[in-house]
Amino acid sequence: MAIVEVKNLSKTFDAAGGTTTALNHINLSIEEGDVFGIIGMSGAGKSTLVRCLNLLEVPTEGQVIVEGKDLTALTNKELREERGRIAMIFQSFNLLQQKNVISNVCVPMMIQGKKKSEAKKRAKELLELVCLQDKARSYPSQLSGGQCQRVAIARALASDPKILLCDEATSALDPQTTNQILDLLKEINQKLKITIIIITHQMSVVQKICNRVAIIDHGEIAEMGEVEEIFTHPKSQAGRVLVIDGTQEVGTSDRQKAVELLKEKKRIRIVFSKNSSYEPVIANMVLAVGKPVNILKADTQDVGGVARGQMILGLPDDADAQEKMIAYLKDHNLAVEEVQA
Amino acid sequence: MREEIVTMLLQGIGETLYMSVFATLFGYVIGLPWGVALCITGKNGIKRNSGIYFVLDVIANIMRSIPFLILMIMVIPLTIAIVGQSYGSTATIVPLVISAAPMIARMVESSLVEVDAGEIEAVQSMGAGTGWIILHVLLGEGRVSLIAGATISFATILGYSAMAGTLGGGGLGDIAIRYGYHRYDTQIMIITVVLLVVLVQIFQGLGTWVGKKSDKR
Repeated sequence: MAIVEVKNLSKTFDAAGGTTTALNHINLSIEEGDVFGIIGMSGAGKSTLVRCLNLLEVPTEGQVIVEGKDLTALTNKELREERGRIAMIFQSFNLLQQKNVISNVCVPMMIQGKKKSEAKKRAKELLELVCLQDKARSYPSQLSGGQCQRVAIARALASDPKILLCDEATSALDPQTTNQILDLLKEINQKLKITIIIITHQMSVVQKICNRVAIIDHGEIAEMGEVEEIFTHPKSQAGRVLVIDGTQEVGTSDRQKAVELLKEKKRIRIVFSKNSSYEPVIANMVLAVGKPVNILKADTQDVGGVARGQMILGLPDDADAQEKMIAYLKDHNLAVEEVQA
Repeated sequence: MREEIVTMLLQGIGETLYMSVFATLFGYVIGLPWGVALCITGKNGIKRNSGIYFVLDVIANIMRSIPFLILMIMVIPLTIAIVGQSYGSTATIVPLVISAAPMIARMVESSLVEVDAGEIEAVQSMGAGTGWIILHVLLGEGRVSLIAGATISFATILGYSAMAGTLGGGGLGDIAIRYGYHRYDTQIMIITVVLLVVLVQIFQGLGTWVGKKSDKR
Protein backbone atom coordinates (compact mmCIF):
# COMPACT_ATOMS: atom_id res chain seq x y z
CA MET A 1 0.00 0.00 0.00
CA ALA A 2 1.14 3.50 -0.75
CA ILE A 3 2.48 5.37 2.26
CA VAL A 4 1.26 8.72 0.93
CA GLU A 5 -1.71 9.04 -1.32
CA VAL A 6 -3.00 12.32 -2.66
CA LYS A 7 -6.47 12.18 -4.15
CA ASN A 8 -7.96 14.87 -6.29
CA LEU A 9 -6.22 17.61 -4.32
CA SER A 10 -6.91 21.24 -5.16
CA LYS A 11 -5.84 24.42 -3.45
CA THR A 12 -7.01 27.89 -4.31
CA PHE A 13 -5.99 31.14 -2.68
CA ASP A 14 -8.17 34.19 -2.37
CA ALA A 15 -6.22 37.13 -3.61
CA ALA A 16 -7.10 40.66 -4.53
CA GLY A 17 -8.87 40.47 -7.85
CA GLY A 18 -10.14 36.90 -7.69
CA THR A 19 -8.93 33.49 -6.67
CA THR A 20 -5.77 31.85 -7.92
CA THR A 21 -5.53 28.12 -8.31
CA ALA A 22 -2.24 26.88 -6.91
CA LEU A 23 -3.01 23.19 -7.27
CA ASN A 24 -5.52 21.70 -9.65
CA HIS A 25 -6.79 18.16 -9.02
CA ILE A 26 -3.52 16.50 -8.13
CA ASN A 27 -3.31 12.74 -7.80
CA LEU A 28 -0.15 11.16 -6.43
CA SER A 29 0.84 7.92 -4.87
CA ILE A 30 4.15 7.45 -3.10
CA GLU A 31 5.34 4.02 -2.04
CA GLU A 32 7.07 3.21 1.21
CA GLY A 33 10.84 3.50 0.81
CA ASP A 34 10.64 5.80 -2.19
CA VAL A 35 12.81 8.83 -2.67
CA PHE A 36 10.17 10.75 -4.54
CA GLY A 37 11.01 13.97 -6.35
CA ILE A 38 8.54 16.72 -7.08
CA ILE A 39 10.09 19.07 -9.57
CA GLY A 40 8.82 22.21 -11.18
CA MET A 41 9.72 25.78 -11.95
CA SER A 42 9.08 28.51 -9.42
CA GLY A 43 5.41 29.24 -9.11
CA ALA A 44 4.42 25.77 -10.32
CA GLY A 45 2.82 24.98 -6.96
CA LYS A 46 5.34 22.51 -5.58
CA SER A 47 5.81 24.24 -2.23
CA THR A 48 2.05 24.43 -1.77
CA LEU A 49 1.82 20.74 -2.63
CA VAL A 50 4.39 19.67 -0.04
CA ARG A 51 2.67 21.83 2.59
CA CYS A 52 -0.57 20.06 1.83
CA LEU A 53 1.09 16.73 2.65
CA ASN A 54 1.27 17.64 6.35
CA LEU A 55 -1.64 20.04 6.18
CA LEU A 56 0.40 23.15 6.89
CA GLU A 57 -1.77 24.30 4.00
CA VAL A 58 -5.30 23.02 4.22
CA PRO A 59 -6.44 21.77 0.82
CA THR A 60 -9.51 23.39 -0.67
CA GLU A 61 -10.58 20.04 -2.04
CA GLY A 62 -9.42 16.43 -2.03
CA GLN A 63 -7.73 14.08 0.39
CA VAL A 64 -4.24 13.44 1.72
CA ILE A 65 -3.94 9.90 2.99
CA VAL A 66 -0.82 9.09 4.98
CA GLU A 67 -0.34 5.52 6.20
CA GLY A 68 -4.00 4.86 5.58
CA LYS A 69 -5.23 7.89 7.55
CA ASP A 70 -7.03 10.72 5.82
CA LEU A 71 -5.33 13.79 7.30
CA THR A 72 -8.12 16.10 6.22
CA ALA A 73 -10.55 14.16 8.42
CA LEU A 74 -8.47 14.26 11.62
CA THR A 75 -9.14 16.49 14.61
CA ASN A 76 -6.55 19.13 15.47
CA LYS A 77 -5.06 16.98 18.20
CA GLU A 78 -4.87 13.86 16.03
CA LEU A 79 -3.30 15.90 13.25
CA ARG A 80 -0.60 17.25 15.59
CA GLU A 81 0.22 13.71 16.68
CA GLU A 82 0.34 12.52 13.08
CA ARG A 83 2.73 15.34 12.19
CA GLY A 84 5.28 13.70 14.44
CA ARG A 85 5.48 10.96 11.82
CA ILE A 86 5.90 13.39 8.93
CA ALA A 87 9.06 15.44 9.46
CA MET A 88 10.05 18.37 7.30
CA ILE A 89 13.19 20.29 6.41
CA PHE A 90 13.30 23.67 4.72
CA GLN A 91 15.32 25.79 2.31
CA SER A 92 16.11 28.32 5.03
CA PHE A 93 16.64 25.60 7.69
CA ASN A 94 14.25 27.31 10.13
CA LEU A 95 16.23 26.47 13.24
CA LEU A 96 15.34 28.34 16.42
CA GLN A 97 18.05 31.01 16.45
CA GLN A 98 18.00 31.57 20.21
CA LYS A 99 18.46 27.90 21.06
CA ASN A 100 21.69 25.96 20.74
CA VAL A 101 22.11 22.98 18.45
CA ILE A 102 21.24 20.27 20.94
CA SER A 103 18.15 22.15 22.18
CA ASN A 104 17.04 22.53 18.59
CA VAL A 105 17.32 18.79 18.04
CA CYS A 106 15.32 18.26 21.25
CA VAL A 107 12.41 20.45 20.04
CA PRO A 108 10.24 17.70 18.47
CA MET A 109 10.75 15.51 21.53
CA MET A 110 9.81 18.36 23.89
CA ILE A 111 6.67 18.91 21.82
CA GLN A 112 5.87 15.21 22.19
CA GLY A 113 6.41 15.54 25.93
CA LYS A 114 9.46 13.31 26.26
CA LYS A 115 11.62 13.49 29.37
CA LYS A 116 14.41 16.03 29.08
CA SER A 117 17.18 13.55 29.91
CA GLU A 118 15.90 11.05 27.36
CA ALA A 119 15.59 13.75 24.72
CA LYS A 120 19.14 14.96 25.33
CA LYS A 121 20.47 11.42 24.99
CA ARG A 122 18.63 10.81 21.73
CA ALA A 123 19.68 14.23 20.42
CA LYS A 124 23.32 13.34 21.02
CA GLU A 125 22.94 10.14 19.00
CA LEU A 126 21.30 12.05 16.16
CA LEU A 127 24.06 14.66 16.13
CA GLU A 128 26.54 11.82 15.79
CA LEU A 129 24.56 10.51 12.82
CA VAL A 130 24.91 13.87 11.06
CA CYS A 131 28.55 14.24 12.22
CA LEU A 132 27.99 17.33 14.34
CA GLN A 133 28.48 15.97 17.84
CA ASP A 134 31.15 18.60 18.55
CA LYS A 135 28.74 21.45 17.73
CA ALA A 136 26.10 20.55 20.32
CA ARG A 137 26.62 23.76 22.31
CA SER A 138 26.96 26.07 19.32
CA TYR A 139 24.20 28.36 18.15
CA PRO A 140 22.83 28.24 14.58
CA SER A 141 24.34 31.65 13.77
CA GLN A 142 27.79 30.14 14.33
CA LEU A 143 27.27 27.35 11.78
CA SER A 144 27.58 27.22 8.00
CA GLY A 145 24.56 26.56 5.78
CA GLY A 146 25.43 22.92 5.33
CA GLN A 147 25.88 22.43 9.07
CA CYS A 148 22.54 24.15 9.74
CA GLN A 149 20.80 21.79 7.33
CA ARG A 150 22.44 18.82 9.09
CA VAL A 151 21.07 20.07 12.41
CA ALA A 152 17.67 20.47 10.75
CA ILE A 153 17.90 16.87 9.51
CA ALA A 154 18.85 15.62 12.98
CA ARG A 155 15.92 17.59 14.38
CA ALA A 156 13.59 16.14 11.76
CA LEU A 157 14.65 12.60 12.69
CA ALA A 158 14.12 13.20 16.41
CA SER A 159 10.45 12.30 16.29
CA ASP A 160 11.20 8.96 14.58
CA PRO A 161 9.28 9.90 11.44
CA LYS A 162 8.25 7.54 8.66
CA ILE A 163 8.26 10.29 6.07
CA LEU A 164 10.65 13.18 5.51
CA LEU A 165 9.51 16.14 3.43
CA CYS A 166 12.29 18.29 1.96
CA ASP A 167 11.22 21.70 0.71
CA GLU A 168 14.04 22.98 -1.53
CA ALA A 169 16.37 21.70 1.17
CA THR A 170 19.52 22.16 -0.90
CA SER A 171 18.62 25.29 -2.84
CA ALA A 172 20.49 27.61 -0.48
CA LEU A 173 23.64 25.49 -0.53
CA ASP A 174 26.67 25.35 -2.81
CA PRO A 175 27.04 22.33 -5.14
CA GLN A 176 29.52 20.48 -2.94
CA THR A 177 27.45 20.92 0.22
CA THR A 178 24.36 19.99 -1.77
CA ASN A 179 25.99 16.69 -2.65
CA GLN A 180 26.89 16.01 0.98
CA ILE A 181 23.34 16.70 2.12
CA LEU A 182 21.92 14.51 -0.67
CA ASP A 183 24.27 11.69 0.33
CA LEU A 184 23.08 12.04 3.91
CA LEU A 185 19.44 11.92 2.81
CA LYS A 186 20.12 8.82 0.73
CA GLU A 187 21.77 7.19 3.73
CA ILE A 188 18.76 8.04 5.90
CA ASN A 189 16.44 6.57 3.29
CA GLN A 190 18.37 3.32 3.11
CA LYS A 191 19.44 2.82 6.73
CA LEU A 192 16.41 4.15 8.57
CA LYS A 193 13.86 3.13 5.90
CA ILE A 194 12.35 6.60 5.83
CA THR A 195 10.35 7.59 2.77
CA ILE A 196 11.66 10.88 1.42
CA ILE A 197 9.75 13.41 -0.64
CA ILE A 198 11.92 16.06 -2.23
CA ILE A 199 10.70 19.34 -3.66
CA THR A 200 13.21 20.96 -5.97
CA HIS A 201 13.66 22.98 -9.12
CA GLN A 202 16.97 21.25 -9.91
CA MET A 203 16.92 18.19 -12.15
CA SER A 204 20.38 17.28 -10.86
CA VAL A 205 18.96 16.73 -7.37
CA VAL A 206 16.28 14.40 -8.70
CA GLN A 207 18.82 12.53 -10.81
CA LYS A 208 21.14 12.06 -7.90
CA ILE A 209 18.86 10.53 -5.31
CA CYS A 210 15.27 10.06 -6.46
CA ASN A 211 13.86 6.85 -7.86
CA ARG A 212 10.53 8.34 -8.88
CA VAL A 213 9.59 11.83 -9.92
CA ALA A 214 6.54 13.94 -10.64
CA ILE A 215 6.84 17.01 -12.79
CA ILE A 216 4.48 19.74 -11.72
CA ASP A 217 3.55 22.62 -13.97
CA HIS A 218 0.97 25.35 -13.38
CA GLY A 219 -0.55 23.45 -10.49
CA GLU A 220 -0.94 20.20 -12.38
CA ILE A 221 1.08 17.02 -12.69
CA ALA A 222 2.60 17.17 -16.15
CA GLU A 223 4.08 13.69 -15.95
CA MET A 224 5.17 11.15 -13.39
CA GLY A 225 7.23 7.99 -13.36
CA GLU A 226 10.66 6.42 -12.88
CA VAL A 227 13.45 8.99 -12.93
CA GLU A 228 15.43 7.03 -15.51
CA GLU A 229 12.46 6.87 -17.84
CA ILE A 230 11.52 10.52 -17.55
CA PHE A 231 15.08 11.68 -17.90
CA THR A 232 15.54 9.64 -21.05
CA HIS A 233 12.20 10.40 -22.68
CA PRO A 234 10.52 13.44 -21.19
CA LYS A 235 7.08 13.64 -22.78
CA SER A 236 5.58 16.84 -21.42
CA GLN A 237 6.62 20.33 -22.39
CA ALA A 238 7.55 21.14 -18.76
CA GLY A 239 9.47 17.88 -18.53
CA ARG A 240 11.46 18.66 -21.64
CA VAL A 241 12.35 22.12 -20.40
CA LEU A 242 13.48 20.81 -17.03
CA VAL A 243 15.41 17.86 -18.38
CA ILE A 244 17.01 19.41 -21.42
CA ASP A 245 17.77 22.71 -19.76
CA GLY A 246 18.97 20.51 -16.96
CA THR A 247 21.22 22.00 -14.40
CA GLN A 248 20.96 25.58 -15.47
CA GLU A 249 18.36 27.94 -14.08
CA VAL A 250 15.30 27.66 -16.23
CA GLY A 251 14.06 30.66 -18.13
CA THR A 252 16.78 33.16 -18.75
CA SER A 253 19.76 31.38 -20.16
CA ASP A 254 22.45 32.99 -22.19
CA ARG A 255 23.57 29.54 -23.17
CA GLN A 256 20.22 28.87 -24.77
CA LYS A 257 20.74 31.96 -26.90
CA ALA A 258 24.20 30.83 -27.88
CA VAL A 259 22.79 27.51 -28.98
CA GLU A 260 20.24 29.25 -31.16
CA LEU A 261 22.96 31.21 -32.92
CA LEU A 262 24.71 28.09 -34.11
CA LYS A 263 24.01 27.12 -37.66
CA GLU A 264 23.35 23.37 -37.52
CA LYS A 265 19.77 22.60 -38.36
CA LYS A 266 19.76 19.00 -37.26
CA ARG A 267 20.18 18.53 -33.55
CA ILE A 268 19.93 15.40 -31.49
CA ARG A 269 19.84 14.77 -27.79
CA ILE A 270 21.52 11.65 -26.55
CA VAL A 271 21.09 10.25 -23.11
CA PHE A 272 23.71 8.20 -21.34
CA SER A 273 21.94 5.76 -19.08
CA LYS A 274 23.01 2.71 -17.11
CA ASN A 275 23.28 0.69 -20.32
CA SER A 276 25.86 2.95 -21.87
CA SER A 277 29.20 1.36 -22.57
CA TYR A 278 32.48 2.64 -21.29
CA GLU A 279 34.19 4.17 -24.28
CA PRO A 280 34.72 7.60 -25.80
CA VAL A 281 31.65 7.13 -27.94
CA ILE A 282 31.34 10.59 -29.52
CA ALA A 283 34.98 10.67 -30.57
CA ASN A 284 34.71 7.16 -32.03
CA MET A 285 31.57 8.10 -33.91
CA VAL A 286 33.28 11.09 -35.50
CA LEU A 287 36.22 8.90 -36.52
CA ALA A 288 33.90 6.24 -37.94
CA VAL A 289 31.74 8.63 -39.96
CA GLY A 290 34.54 11.01 -40.86
CA LYS A 291 32.51 14.20 -40.30
CA PRO A 292 32.70 16.56 -37.30
CA VAL A 293 29.85 17.29 -34.90
CA ASN A 294 29.26 20.29 -32.74
CA ILE A 295 28.70 19.64 -29.03
CA LEU A 296 26.07 22.20 -28.08
CA LYS A 297 25.57 21.06 -24.57
CA ALA A 298 27.10 18.36 -22.45
CA ASP A 299 26.02 17.52 -18.98
CA THR A 300 27.44 14.20 -17.94
CA GLN A 301 28.87 12.77 -14.79
CA ASP A 302 30.82 9.69 -14.01
CA VAL A 303 28.78 7.18 -12.04
CA GLY A 304 30.68 4.02 -11.22
CA GLY A 305 32.88 4.32 -14.31
CA VAL A 306 29.99 4.82 -16.73
CA ALA A 307 29.00 8.17 -18.16
CA ARG A 308 25.52 9.30 -17.13
CA GLY A 309 23.72 12.38 -18.31
CA GLN A 310 22.98 13.99 -21.61
CA MET A 311 24.50 15.74 -24.60
CA ILE A 312 23.03 17.82 -27.38
CA LEU A 313 24.89 17.52 -30.68
CA GLY A 314 24.61 19.62 -33.81
CA LEU A 315 25.01 17.23 -36.75
CA PRO A 316 26.57 18.07 -40.14
CA ASP A 317 24.07 19.05 -42.88
CA ASP A 318 24.92 15.97 -44.95
CA ALA A 319 21.86 13.66 -44.60
CA ASP A 320 23.86 10.50 -45.17
CA ALA A 321 26.30 11.37 -42.36
CA GLN A 322 23.40 12.22 -40.08
CA GLU A 323 21.82 8.83 -40.61
CA LYS A 324 25.09 7.03 -40.04
CA MET A 325 25.74 8.92 -36.83
CA ILE A 326 22.31 8.21 -35.37
CA ALA A 327 22.65 4.55 -36.28
CA TYR A 328 26.09 4.45 -34.67
CA LEU A 329 24.80 5.93 -31.41
CA LYS A 330 21.82 3.61 -31.32
CA ASP A 331 24.15 0.66 -31.83
CA HIS A 332 25.94 1.76 -28.69
CA ASN A 333 22.79 1.62 -26.58
CA LEU A 334 22.29 5.34 -26.37
CA ALA A 335 18.83 6.88 -26.44
CA VAL A 336 18.71 9.34 -29.32
CA GLU A 337 16.03 11.84 -30.14
CA GLU A 338 15.77 14.87 -32.32
CA VAL A 339 15.36 18.23 -30.62
CA GLN A 340 13.81 21.33 -32.06
CA ALA A 341 16.02 24.27 -32.87
CA MET B 1 22.64 71.29 50.40
CA ARG B 2 20.38 70.92 53.39
CA GLU B 3 19.96 67.48 54.75
CA GLU B 4 16.19 67.49 54.56
CA ILE B 5 16.31 68.27 50.86
CA VAL B 6 18.60 65.31 50.28
CA THR B 7 16.23 63.11 52.24
CA MET B 8 13.33 64.46 50.23
CA LEU B 9 15.08 63.79 46.93
CA LEU B 10 16.03 60.27 47.99
CA GLN B 11 12.45 59.63 48.98
CA GLY B 12 11.40 61.04 45.59
CA ILE B 13 13.69 58.63 43.78
CA GLY B 14 12.28 55.78 45.85
CA GLU B 15 8.70 56.72 45.04
CA THR B 16 9.43 57.21 41.35
CA LEU B 17 11.05 53.79 41.13
CA TYR B 18 8.25 52.23 43.17
CA MET B 19 5.61 53.61 40.83
CA SER B 20 7.52 52.84 37.62
CA VAL B 21 8.52 49.30 38.56
CA PHE B 22 5.07 48.23 39.73
CA ALA B 23 3.29 50.02 36.91
CA THR B 24 5.57 48.27 34.38
CA LEU B 25 5.05 44.95 36.11
CA PHE B 26 1.24 45.19 36.21
CA GLY B 27 1.33 46.79 32.77
CA TYR B 28 2.96 43.59 31.46
CA VAL B 29 0.49 41.39 33.35
CA ILE B 30 -2.19 42.95 31.13
CA GLY B 31 -0.16 44.06 28.10
CA LEU B 32 1.79 40.85 27.45
CA PRO B 33 -1.22 38.55 26.95
CA TRP B 34 -2.92 41.39 25.08
CA GLY B 35 0.07 41.74 22.73
CA VAL B 36 0.30 37.98 22.26
CA ALA B 37 -3.40 37.91 21.39
CA LEU B 38 -2.93 40.76 18.91
CA CYS B 39 -0.04 38.89 17.31
CA ILE B 40 -1.69 35.50 16.95
CA THR B 41 -5.10 36.78 15.84
CA GLY B 42 -3.51 39.28 13.43
CA LYS B 43 -3.19 39.01 9.68
CA ASN B 44 -0.33 36.51 9.59
CA GLY B 45 -0.97 35.03 13.02
CA ILE B 46 -1.26 31.36 13.91
CA LYS B 47 -4.86 31.79 15.12
CA ARG B 48 -6.06 34.38 12.68
CA ASN B 49 -9.34 35.87 13.85
CA SER B 50 -10.19 39.25 12.41
CA GLY B 51 -13.10 39.78 14.82
CA ILE B 52 -11.04 39.39 17.99
CA TYR B 53 -8.17 41.31 16.45
CA PHE B 54 -10.47 44.20 15.55
CA VAL B 55 -11.80 44.49 19.10
CA LEU B 56 -8.35 44.32 20.74
CA ASP B 57 -6.95 46.71 18.17
CA VAL B 58 -9.67 49.33 18.62
CA ILE B 59 -9.49 49.20 22.43
CA ALA B 60 -5.72 49.68 22.27
CA ASN B 61 -6.09 52.63 19.92
CA ILE B 62 -8.76 54.33 22.01
CA MET B 63 -6.86 53.91 25.26
CA ARG B 64 -3.65 55.10 23.71
CA SER B 65 -5.19 58.27 22.34
CA ILE B 66 -6.40 59.55 25.72
CA PRO B 67 -3.80 62.00 27.11
CA PHE B 68 -2.33 60.67 30.32
CA LEU B 69 -3.32 63.56 32.57
CA ILE B 70 -6.94 63.36 31.43
CA LEU B 71 -6.91 59.59 31.87
CA MET B 72 -5.64 60.07 35.43
CA ILE B 73 -8.62 62.24 36.26
CA MET B 74 -11.06 59.98 34.42
CA VAL B 75 -10.07 56.89 36.39
CA ILE B 76 -10.15 58.54 39.83
CA PRO B 77 -13.28 56.59 40.85
CA LEU B 78 -11.60 53.35 39.87
CA THR B 79 -8.42 54.37 41.70
CA ILE B 80 -10.39 55.08 44.86
CA ALA B 81 -12.19 51.76 44.52
CA ILE B 82 -8.90 49.85 44.24
CA VAL B 83 -6.50 51.80 46.46
CA GLY B 84 -8.87 53.73 48.70
CA GLN B 85 -7.52 57.19 47.84
CA SER B 86 -6.81 59.18 44.69
CA TYR B 87 -3.43 60.71 45.58
CA GLY B 88 -0.01 59.34 46.51
CA SER B 89 2.37 56.92 44.79
CA THR B 90 0.29 53.78 45.17
CA ALA B 91 -2.79 55.48 43.78
CA THR B 92 -0.79 56.72 40.77
CA ILE B 93 0.06 53.16 39.81
CA VAL B 94 -3.56 52.57 38.74
CA PRO B 95 -3.70 55.17 35.92
CA LEU B 96 -0.10 54.35 35.03
CA VAL B 97 -1.03 50.70 34.45
CA ILE B 98 -4.13 51.62 32.48
CA SER B 99 -2.12 53.93 30.30
CA ALA B 100 0.87 51.60 29.94
CA ALA B 101 -0.97 48.34 29.17
CA PRO B 102 -2.11 49.20 25.62
CA MET B 103 1.29 50.68 24.82
CA ILE B 104 2.96 47.51 26.12
CA ALA B 105 0.51 45.41 24.10
CA ARG B 106 1.62 47.26 20.96
CA MET B 107 5.30 46.85 21.87
CA VAL B 108 4.80 43.13 22.43
CA GLU B 109 2.81 42.75 19.22
CA SER B 110 5.49 44.45 17.13
CA SER B 111 8.21 42.30 18.75
CA LEU B 112 6.33 39.06 18.14
CA VAL B 113 5.27 39.66 14.55
CA GLU B 114 8.97 39.98 13.74
CA VAL B 115 9.60 36.36 14.74
CA ASP B 116 10.54 34.39 11.63
CA ALA B 117 7.44 32.76 10.13
CA GLY B 118 9.66 29.88 8.98
CA GLU B 119 10.56 29.00 12.57
CA ILE B 120 6.88 28.90 13.48
CA GLU B 121 6.10 26.77 10.43
CA ALA B 122 8.91 24.38 11.37
CA VAL B 123 7.54 23.68 14.86
CA GLN B 124 4.02 23.46 13.46
CA SER B 125 5.27 20.76 11.13
CA MET B 126 6.47 18.90 14.23
CA GLY B 127 3.00 19.02 15.72
CA ALA B 128 3.40 21.93 18.14
CA GLY B 129 0.17 23.44 19.44
CA THR B 130 -0.62 27.11 19.95
CA GLY B 131 0.53 27.19 23.59
CA TRP B 132 3.88 25.64 22.77
CA ILE B 133 4.45 28.02 19.90
CA ILE B 134 3.63 31.08 22.04
CA LEU B 135 5.85 29.99 24.90
CA HIS B 136 8.88 28.66 23.06
CA VAL B 137 8.89 30.29 19.67
CA LEU B 138 7.13 33.66 19.94
CA LEU B 139 8.33 34.59 23.43
CA GLY B 140 11.55 32.57 23.25
CA GLU B 141 12.72 33.75 19.85
CA GLY B 142 11.33 37.25 20.28
CA ARG B 143 12.92 37.78 23.68
CA VAL B 144 15.65 40.21 22.59
CA SER B 145 13.10 42.49 21.00
CA LEU B 146 10.78 42.01 24.00
CA ILE B 147 13.54 43.12 26.36
CA ALA B 148 14.22 46.18 24.23
CA GLY B 149 10.50 46.94 24.28
CA ALA B 150 10.35 46.53 28.06
CA THR B 151 13.20 49.00 28.44
CA ILE B 152 11.41 51.59 26.32
CA SER B 153 8.15 50.95 28.19
CA PHE B 154 9.86 51.41 31.54
CA ALA B 155 11.44 54.72 30.53
CA THR B 156 8.11 55.96 29.18
CA ILE B 157 6.28 54.95 32.37
CA LEU B 158 8.97 56.68 34.42
CA GLY B 159 8.27 59.84 32.44
CA TYR B 160 4.51 59.46 33.00
CA SER B 161 5.06 58.95 36.71
CA ALA B 162 6.81 62.32 36.82
CA MET B 163 3.81 63.84 35.06
CA ALA B 164 1.56 62.23 37.65
CA GLY B 165 3.43 64.26 40.24
CA THR B 166 1.55 67.35 39.13
CA LEU B 167 -1.65 65.78 40.43
CA GLY B 168 -0.23 64.82 43.79
CA GLY B 169 1.27 61.55 42.67
CA GLY B 170 4.49 61.79 44.65
CA GLY B 171 7.96 61.04 43.35
CA LEU B 172 10.45 63.28 41.61
CA GLY B 173 7.81 64.91 39.40
CA ASP B 174 5.91 65.98 42.49
CA ILE B 175 9.05 67.58 43.94
CA ALA B 176 9.84 69.33 40.67
CA ILE B 177 6.37 70.88 40.54
CA ARG B 178 6.10 71.84 44.19
CA TYR B 179 9.58 73.26 44.68
CA GLY B 180 10.70 74.13 41.20
CA TYR B 181 7.48 75.56 39.83
CA HIS B 182 5.37 76.79 42.71
CA ARG B 183 8.31 78.09 44.79
CA TYR B 184 10.48 79.24 41.90
CA ASP B 185 13.37 77.07 43.18
CA THR B 186 15.16 76.47 39.88
CA GLN B 187 18.00 74.56 41.53
CA ILE B 188 15.74 71.82 42.87
CA MET B 189 13.88 71.60 39.58
CA ILE B 190 17.16 71.08 37.71
CA ILE B 191 18.32 68.48 40.23
CA THR B 192 15.11 66.46 39.83
CA VAL B 193 15.38 66.63 36.05
CA VAL B 194 18.98 65.46 36.19
CA LEU B 195 17.98 62.63 38.52
CA LEU B 196 15.25 61.55 36.10
CA VAL B 197 17.72 61.62 33.21
CA VAL B 198 20.19 59.52 35.19
CA LEU B 199 17.49 56.99 36.11
CA VAL B 200 16.41 56.61 32.50
CA GLN B 201 20.05 56.26 31.40
CA ILE B 202 20.73 53.55 33.99
CA PHE B 203 17.69 51.50 33.03
CA GLN B 204 18.21 51.99 29.30
CA GLY B 205 21.82 50.84 29.68
CA LEU B 206 20.76 47.89 31.80
CA GLY B 207 18.09 46.88 29.28
CA THR B 208 20.45 47.11 26.34
CA TRP B 209 23.06 45.05 28.19
CA VAL B 210 20.61 42.30 29.16
CA GLY B 211 19.23 42.25 25.62
CA LYS B 212 22.66 41.86 24.10
CA LYS B 213 23.63 39.19 26.61
CA SER B 214 20.59 37.08 25.77
CA ASP B 215 20.91 37.38 22.01
CA LYS B 216 22.38 34.24 20.45
CA ARG B 217 21.83 35.20 16.82
